Amino acid sequence: MPELQGLYDAVVNGDQKAAVRLTKEGLDAGVEPMELLSSYMIPAMDEVGRRFECEDYFVPELLLAARAMKGAMELIRPLLTASGAQPAGRVAIGTVKGDLHDIGKNLVASMLEGGGFDVLDLGADVAPEKFVDAVENKKVDLICLSALLTVTMPSMRTTIEALERAGVRDKVKVIVGGAPVTEQFAKDIRADGYGENANSAVALARKLVMAARAA
Amino acid sequence: MRLKLISCEVLYREMCACVARSPHQIDIEFLPKGLHDLGGARMRGRLQEVVDSTDPSVHETILMGYALCGNGLAGLTARTVPIVLPRAHDCIALLMGSRHKYQQYFDENPGVFFRSTGWLERGKGLIPLSRRQTGVDTKLEELIEKYGEENGRYLFEELNNYQSHYRQMTYIRTGLEADGSFEDRAREEATQRGWTYASMDGDMTLFRRFINGDWGEADFLTVPPAHRVVVRYDDSIIGVEPA
Repeated sequence: MPELQGLYDAVVNGDQKAAVRLTKEGLDAGVEPMELLSSYMIPAMDEVGRRFECEDYFVPELLLAARAMKGAMELIRPLLTASGAQPAGRVAIGTVKGDLHDIGKNLVASMLEGGGFDVLDLGADVAPEKFVDAVENKKVDLICLSALLTVTMPSMRTTIEALERAGVRDKVKVIVGGAPVTEQFAKDIRADGYGENANSAVALARKLVMAARAA
Repeated sequence: MRLKLISCEVLYREMCACVARSPHQIDIEFLPKGLHDLGGARMRGRLQEVVDSTDPSVHETILMGYALCGNGLAGLTARTVPIVLPRAHDCIALLMGSRHKYQQYFDENPGVFFRSTGWLERGKGLIPLSRRQTGVDTKLEELIEKYGEENGRYLFEELNNYQSHYRQMTYIRTGLEADGSFEDRAREEATQRGWTYASMDGDMTLFRRFINGDWGEADFLTVPPAHRVVVRYDDSIIGVEPA
């Protein structure tokens, strides 16, 4: 039996090579993929999030942990799919029209993937119609909108309005985030939630998707 | 009037030029551009400290040489001395002389990075704290030293990738430049990054009105004592509420 605590440490320390190697060893030794995910990897990401909240970790550490998680997930995801396990949810994510900044968006995308979501990354400077298309044709449960500039925050509103006009707003949850975005703004534009950082975005995504499925 | 101007150093030359010709007596305190990288809440905290250190028996109004600046000004509170600040998202609107002109330029020219005298000569090596938090603009060697060869290279790629989305460098000429050296530097930077280069004439009108006391409500917000700045998600950009 491999030392699986090492997998937890590898994710927390952002060591992708070790994370991939230990995941492989675990799987080879017959550990259930779900066990690796829920007992080691997700707790590790929770710890990374905790360290970020108390400012032990900053963006670079988050990026490295998400990358380690992603590497391990590439081995685990096909097995989960084959065993009929549902992803945590399908997400379309993008930086809104006019805004080209994507570090935050990429980070949230990686963290969501790490959290077991099926992520459709639409990139930066994404037109509202592309989000509408993701709901209509890609069956996403959740849309994540990112903006770094206050100048481009109105694009979040126009994106939500486009979903309303297309008659698909009630088919999807929408969460917003990015440095200048606030809880109040999220309410103003009728978003379903606001993620203050990548860590809280993942928790919020889980909560909203679970609630929608239960409804 | 005797006014106190608290300004971002990125507007150093524009502010100094207007202060020199102002009918009022103005004391200036420039603050590091790096404050912007601390995030809205911390930036506001530092600005509030400076606002609160103002002596009401000396200055009758505080001028904030800032814009909304990523919500860095949201929540800023006037205690006993009123505060005046321009209605704008950021300093590019001030340099262009109009937030509407800025919005139009922004919409018509996606992927533009702006430069001005302040953006070229200010804000280097002042507050390294920001880099610790975001890692943006950190040198490859530093990242490798801290995170190891492989992780360091990955981070450098990820953290600088946003620059690949930009396509153009626009230099905003204010007419205060002594010679063409600023434009030369901006053009050179554009070439290095593989972007096209453009320049445009700025407009000093908002700076002049700000410093001269022409604070019409359409372009400036006056925060009375015991009130604070709030974000308005419309064309007015900012408003006030009781603190």
